[in-house]
Amino acid sequence: MDQLLLILLNAAWQIAALALLALGLAIVFGLLRILNMAHGEFVMLGAYAHVIAGQLGLPPLTALPICILVVGLVALLIERVVVRHFYSRMFDSLLATWALSILMREIVEMIWGRAYRNVPMPVEGLVQLGGVSYPGYRLIVIFLVIAGFACLWLWYRKSLTGVRIRAVVNNPSLARASGINTSRFSAAAFVTGCVLAGLSGLLLAPMLGVEPSMGLDALIRSFFALVVGGLGTLEGLGIGVAVVGGVQAGLSAALSQTAGYLGVLVLAILFLWRRPDGLYRRR
Amino acid sequence: MTLFRTLAIAGALAAGLATAAPAEIRIGVVIPDSGPSSLFGPASRNVAQMAAEDINANGGINGEPVKLFFADVGVPPAQSAQAAVRLWRGEEIHGFAGMHNSAVREALIGQFRGKVPFVYSGVYEGGECAPGTWLTATTPAQQLAPVIPWLVEREKVGRWYLIGNDYNWPRDTNDAARDIIAETGGEIVGEEYVPLGSQDFDASLQRIQASGADAVFITLVGGDSVAFNIGFGAFGLDKQAIRFGTLIEENTLAGIGAAGANRLYSSLGYFANIETDKAKAFATRYADTFGADASALNALSQSVYDGIMLLAALGNAAGSMEVEAIAAVADGTAYESPRGEPVLKGTHADQTIYLADGTGAEFKVVAHFDNVAHGVTCD
Repeated sequence: MDQLLLILLNAAWQIAALALLALGLAIVFGLLRILNMAHGEFVMLGAYAHVIAGQLGLPPLTALPICILVVGLVALLIERVVVRHFYSRMFDSLLATWALSILMREIVEMIWGRAYRNVPMPVEGLVQLGGVSYPGYRLIVIFLVIAGFACLWLWYRKSLTGVRIRAVVNNPSLARASGINTSRFSAAAFVTGCVLAGLSGLLLAPMLGVEPSMGLDALIRSFFALVVGGLGTLEGLGIGVAVVGGVQAGLSAALSQTAGYLGVLVLAILFLWRRPDGLYRRR
Repeated sequence: MTLFRTLAIAGALAAGLATAAPAEIRIGVVIPDSGPSSLFGPASRNVAQMAAEDINANGGINGEPVKLFFADVGVPPAQSAQAAVRLWRGEEIHGFAGMHNSAVREALIGQFRGKVPFVYSGVYEGGECAPGTWLTATTPAQQLAPVIPWLVEREKVGRWYLIGNDYNWPRDTNDAARDIIAETGGEIVGEEYVPLGSQDFDASLQRIQASGADAVFITLVGGDSVAFNIGFGAFGLDKQAIRFGTLIEENTLAGIGAAGANRLYSSLGYFANIETDKAKAFATRYADTFGADASALNALSQSVYDGIMLLAALGNAAGSMEVEAIAAVADGTAYESPRGEPVLKGTHADQTIYLADGTGAEFKVVAHFDNVAHGVTCD
């Protein structure tokens, strides 16, 4: 019984972490049709906010504003200089952002080196749940993700901005004609997606450690989640991360980590092949 | 006049060419400047320079000064071998020394084919018997045989769980560990291998917890080791079991951090803060020469110094850099090292092994074992 509870908690953690990682990628792809190959590097950059805060001698919590500021500025710069030329050119944008990802990794290596860095857990200690002791920090992250996604969904469905976003995505020329500034909208969407990627790096860094190439794993797993769930909707993202995270956690627990990775790979290939629109289709 | 001048220039050129024939011993240093291990490249280069200084201050090799040439072997094996061969042919290299992974070593040996002496350093799985190859690299037998009984005695443990990445170094190391654990009367309660690049160890941690293990032997490398050990600490498993690994060096420990490092042991041939006079002098000289901010030393990067010192000792013992001449005298050759007093037995070095406790994310050497046999038999 305790073992089952632990497996469920681990699966919840996997799904929450994956949802956090994939959200930024889903927003940028869903709203802008840009497959941002530098997504993982924004995750990595967000994690380095801890390192910046440490080097400046600031308290750990200041990593949050540093993360938003640094990642936001870098994303804005990249959107204005590079990405905006690639809207509606999906394959070109893939190559361009891939080059950006290499550039960002190299620059971070130049500044901070390749060494591993540890980020102390903001909340230490274990929480007793039935017969299981679970790391408190993980429970907090799981709760934040659930609350964050609920708010996001409500906002997207109910607010005026949400309506505008849907208008721009569904019919850009009509949206432009009715007075929506689509260029500013695109920049805002790209920066938001990247900042969310950065925040996921910030939150997950204490569990992983920080190093320049940590973004690659984040990109691949987020991509799989989007493939399975369906590109471009919040509901699809939710389904995708639940399936991918669940399969990986379940197979790892039942068999081995190798089986877990294999399961996710097979799933991704099957979906790309048989159901490229994913489980949750747009109308 | 013009003819005279032309002749003079030709003569000078000819003389120049004659003296350009190397009156020096040219050593090829094969270390990673790119790829995942490039982290250790800068420090490896630094200690290589220290080795060259030391060799030249003591009369070079057979009276001739040594000069270093570098090739980047952080690239895939076939490319690494190409880079080494280009260096060998292009710069007329007399001998190679370096630290890199085993796939690269095998590719290099495939090209050298025993025609140029080669010293391999670092940490590896044992078993290399190729002609013309000598090794200062520590083997599983060395890093385990004295250490496991010491840990069993000190920590009163006997239920071992083995976890490693899925390739030959962890598997070969665990083969050695299994025998030694059995000799101490311990039992193996679990064994698993995960793909390189794993970040999620929840299932493994759950299995370790359920197995009732009181000791975990870790052959995970790099970021995998960091993620596993952070998780181990976060789940409070450090109260259940000690951990022990044979490739947890200073950089990995820094990534793991204090919360994940409680009762985490590591055995290696070198730690940056060994307290012997020799090791302290080496570390001080390193800091004085390359600055306090220089790339930190660890068992992998420092090993390049040992490799080059052994190559020089072999050349001096043989009176030549020919492989046959060296092979005739290699057995029993001693070489200079901050690690202690290593001596070549066959083609591998018997040497000192240090056991350090990483509690607090700072290694403290808690035991050392001198003259540990490498355990590799070549016929």
